[in-house]
Amino acid sequence: MLDELDLLKKDWQKKETNLPRLTYEEIYKMIWKKSSSVVRWIFYISIIEFLLPHLLYLIPSFRNEMDYNFAKSLGIDNWIIALTIVQYAVAIYFIFQFYKRYREISVLDDAKKLMNKIFRTRKTVKHYVLFCLAMVLLIFGVFIVGMALDDNLVETLNLNNQNVAPDQLKWLLIGVMTVAGILFTGLLAGIYFLLYGLLTRKLSRNYIELKRMEA
Amino acid sequence: MNKELEHQFVTELENNQNIVHKVCSLYTNNRDAHNDLFQEITIQLWKAYPKFRGDSKFSTWMYRVALNTAITLYRKSKRRPATYDYDSVVYKISAEEYDPTQEQQLSLMYSAVRQLSDIDKALVFLYLEDKNYSEIAETLGISEVNARVKMNRIKTKLRTILNP
Repeated sequence: MLDELDLLKKDWQKKETNLPRLTYEEIYKMIWKKSSSVVRWIFYISIIEFLLPHLLYLIPSFRNEMDYNFAKSLGIDNWIIALTIVQYAVAIYFIFQFYKRYREISVLDDAKKLMNKIFRTRKTVKHYVLFCLAMVLLIFGVFIVGMALDDNLVETLNLNNQNVAPDQLKWLLIGVMTVAGILFTGLLAGIYFLLYGLLTRKLSRNYIELKRMEA
Repeated sequence: MNKELEHQFVTELENNQNIVHKVCSLYTNNRDAHNDLFQEITIQLWKAYPKFRGDSKFSTWMYRVALNTAITLYRKSKRRPATYDYDSVVYKISAEEYDPTQEQQLSLMYSAVRQLSDIDKALVFLYLEDKNYSEIAETLGISEVNARVKMNRIKTKLRTILNP
């Protein structure tokens, strides 16, 4: 039985004349177009992910919630400063790592190596995002502990003219803070993993297939 | 990038554009998507061109960039409708060699190849382009033995698609 693929091969090599043909000008125009490759998308989205935790401070209600004076009155201001310094140091490290790995991506590598490098780059961002999520939770945690340890929380917040017992109000506030912390972290995680999944769906599928071949 | 480099690149690509068209025809279903992928491959080739030292043939170098773009870098364009309008466009039948049975079999073969996964298509493409197993293995980053094994599996798969 004649090998079907060899039959196809003969025909394939005759097909040349039936292929579309672009002119010099058409090709010339193309080299100035913007790439819409997955690597470019990953680059832009990663930049947004690096900036996102910092951009949140521009939203007034978020800034109020994380208000420094509030932290100061709770006596946790030094903790917040320390956490902020750590956060920036780690962010700079991750951005450096990300850039280094991004530069290593080369279309001239073999398919498997190329995919591997893209994933390594993306993984840097993934680790950074996980770190940020942990930091967000930690900051909420520090506030919650600060609030719980503050005996005059209701006075601190100037809320004592309400009809609710101060103690009850304090635990209510802590409860709200806890729920807000979890929801907020969950929302950020959701956005991130959705973007990550959508961006790398095709890439993951092909990478798994190549790796399975070598197994 | 200077003018001379631009001219050199565009001329080389113009002369070797069949390779890119063939990759596009395997990985896309219609004219718009074909052009979209062609453009992305052109951009990637141009970006990598300064690194092309001429120690290999321009065409050899193109296979790798074109396939990497199709398998890994290319994101499908939104304007892509889900219909097939290719068979009548690219794979025209040359009248002088018309053989109904063989033509029908070939057409079935092409549609079977289209149903393969991205990676399988890359192997088939390089095979059809008469590349040896060591080149196929090198382009994809797998071992030569595995390239052979995979190719045999693809042949079996194609046979199953053709004779269900």
